[in-house]
Amino acid sequence: MADVIFSDVQKRFGSFVAVQNLNLDIRQGEFVSLLGPSGCGKTTTLRMLAGLEFPTSGEIRIGERVVNDVAPGDRDIAMVFQSYALYPHMSVGQNIAYPLKKRRVPKAERARMVARTAEMLQLTALLDRKPKQLSGGQQQRVALGRALVRDPKVFLLDEPLSNLDAKLRGYMRAELVELHQRLGRTMVYVTHDQLEAMTMSDRIAIMEGGALQQFAPPQEVYRAPANRFVAGFIGTPGMNLIDGALARDGNTWRFEAPALQLEARGLGPDARPGEACLGIRPEALTLGSGALRGVVQLVEQTGHENIVVLRVGEDLRLTGRAPGHTIWKPGETIPFAIDADAAHYFAAGPAGARLNARRSGPHESGDAISITNNMREAHQ
Amino acid sequence: MTIRKIAFNLFAWTIVLMVAFPLFWMLVTSVKPQSELFRRPPTIMPESWTFEHYWRLLSDTGFLRYFTNSVILSSATTLIVVAIATLGAYSLVRYRYRGRETLAFLVLFTYLLPSVVLILPLYLLLVGLGLSNTILSLVIAYTTFALPYALWLLRSFMAGIPEDLESAALVDGASRLGAFWDIILPQLLPGIISTALFTFILSWNEYLYALVLVNSDSARPLTTGVMNMLITSFNIEWSLLMAASVMMSVPLIIAFAFLQSYLTSGFGAGGVKG
Ligand SMILES: Nc1ncnc2c1ncn2[C@@H]1O[C@H](COP(=O)(O)OP(=O)(O)OP(=O)(O)O)[C@@H](O)[C@H]1O
Ligand SMILES: [Mg+2]
Repeated sequence: MADVIFSDVQKRFGSFVAVQNLNLDIRQGEFVSLLGPSGCGKTTTLRMLAGLEFPTSGEIRIGERVVNDVAPGDRDIAMVFQSYALYPHMSVGQNIAYPLKKRRVPKAERARMVARTAEMLQLTALLDRKPKQLSGGQQQRVALGRALVRDPKVFLLDEPLSNLDAKLRGYMRAELVELHQRLGRTMVYVTHDQLEAMTMSDRIAIMEGGALQQFAPPQEVYRAPANRFVAGFIGTPGMNLIDGALARDGNTWRFEAPALQLEARGLGPDARPGEACLGIRPEALTLGSGALRGVVQLVEQTGHENIVVLRVGEDLRLTGRAPGHTIWKPGETIPFAIDADAAHYFAAGPAGARLNARRSGPHESGDAISITNNMREAHQ
Repeated sequence: MTIRKIAFNLFAWTIVLMVAFPLFWMLVTSVKPQSELFRRPPTIMPESWTFEHYWRLLSDTGFLRYFTNSVILSSATTLIVVAIATLGAYSLVRYRYRGRETLAFLVLFTYLLPSVVLILPLYLLLVGLGLSNTILSLVIAYTTFALPYALWLLRSFMAGIPEDLESAALVDGASRLGAFWDIILPQLLPGIISTALFTFILSWNEYLYALVLVNSDSARPLTTGVMNMLITSFNIEWSLLMAASVMMSVPLIIAFAFLQSYLTSGFGAGGVKG
């Protein structure tokens, strides 16, 4: 059952289009991330859902109800702000109780609910403090508590972890996932951190320049990026993107770039001869053996593995991963191979659409665990 | 202590003494008997203390009435100015409408004209309204010059309150007015207090408008009242004048003493990160 629906939602500030033709439909109980670079319209989307910003056109539904004209307080949502937005003059307890107070919950019941929420978030000892007397992580928990104390239909979270240090962020990420499982509520989570989005979400909505690029589960976003933008945005280190051209030779296709030729497999019906872009994940590069040759430019050691940047031909740079025990030095020429079955093809242009055929081959139905593991290692 | 520090301290204390001495002299003169006033060399501390001037001030002159008038006048002006300026600042900061910036700027325009230029039209206007020689006429006049500045002062305070706080309150179920009352006003308190103090002092010390607009003892405030009191007497009684001056300063000193912690320390700052 759909819980939150955006139909053709557009938001303009003057002549500037912050969100264009957004269509999203979020299922009940789903954890959805809005992911994208800074300024892509994530917060604007969330604020429209909260009722703090009016869409210029289009319709937003929560449950069965069109909420375009419903005040924020009547939408049955709770929101955690990127800035936490704790009321500075109120104690922690008063902050958490505020939404209940505004909904006329009787005092005794209010106290009981605040106590329960505080216990869940380990805030009981801090209830009498003012927000400024708390650490960042504690403030974050209070902001969460203010949202959790009620039982709203949808939770909206705007980069709630971005102010925390790496360790606390990892911890809170796990807490949030567990909370989501326990409550079973729909959550819309804004982040610009792809690791957060990959590890926590059921589905990720990737945005760029106010437009939705892809809305799919994490593994699909990783295995079958819908366009060149998504391909380059998801994954650390990023996918190698090589501009070149597709050429057809009877039933077989070839991809040709100045420094690289490759038999192009698995192309879909949209493929046309002409300019195109080849995408290869670093792990689809086999280093140390193969018919191709490259000069090592840079080796980044992460301990467990080495990130190797190769120069191929005049000015093509390829990034690959190799086990941590490899000992290549910059300047060395090494052999390598490209797994042609794992190649992605995109139409020319910065947001060129994916040209691969839809299929679930060995490289498109991997497990999410290994993807996020790969990403986590690269992240640290 | 370095030479620099000593020099700096000397400098600072010289200035403090220069500012404080007239105040001290005012206080001392007001408690000296008449006979001691013009003695040479002057006595720093009075040889005999007397409160006769204060007693005379309260019983023989119109001081008490002027004082009451001033309190009513300044309080009313402050209340009106702060109320209008708070709402105006909220509108200027939170709502987006055409000409918002121009409006804010135009408000300051009144300061480009000297008050002497404004005072005659204002006088005619107030006479036309049948308000001449009333406290209300002064309240209106003072509001015209205190409001623009108060509006700008509060506007900058208001702009310092994160919009997210209000958004959070709206999501938490507050109405726009409720959010204003629960969240904005408490955050604005230091700004409101500074603005109120500023307006109060301005009204309390105002002379020119009071001189031109009010010509009856029933509505005269302290500034013109005390001058009037002295001019009508035969020779100027310095002790009486000093006693009046001390009494005039007292309310301001009390207000400052009580509110200075609000003025200096930010109130609840740091509740929002990022
Ligand atoms: N009130 C506003 N008036 C004009 N432009 C705005 C307004 N709010 C946002 N924008 C613009 O809309 C675009 C999207 O903003 P938004 O805050 O949604 O970005 P975001 O994806 O949340 O970015 P970030 O990750 O930096 O928070 C930005 O280019 C921003 O400048
Ligand atoms: Mg944002």
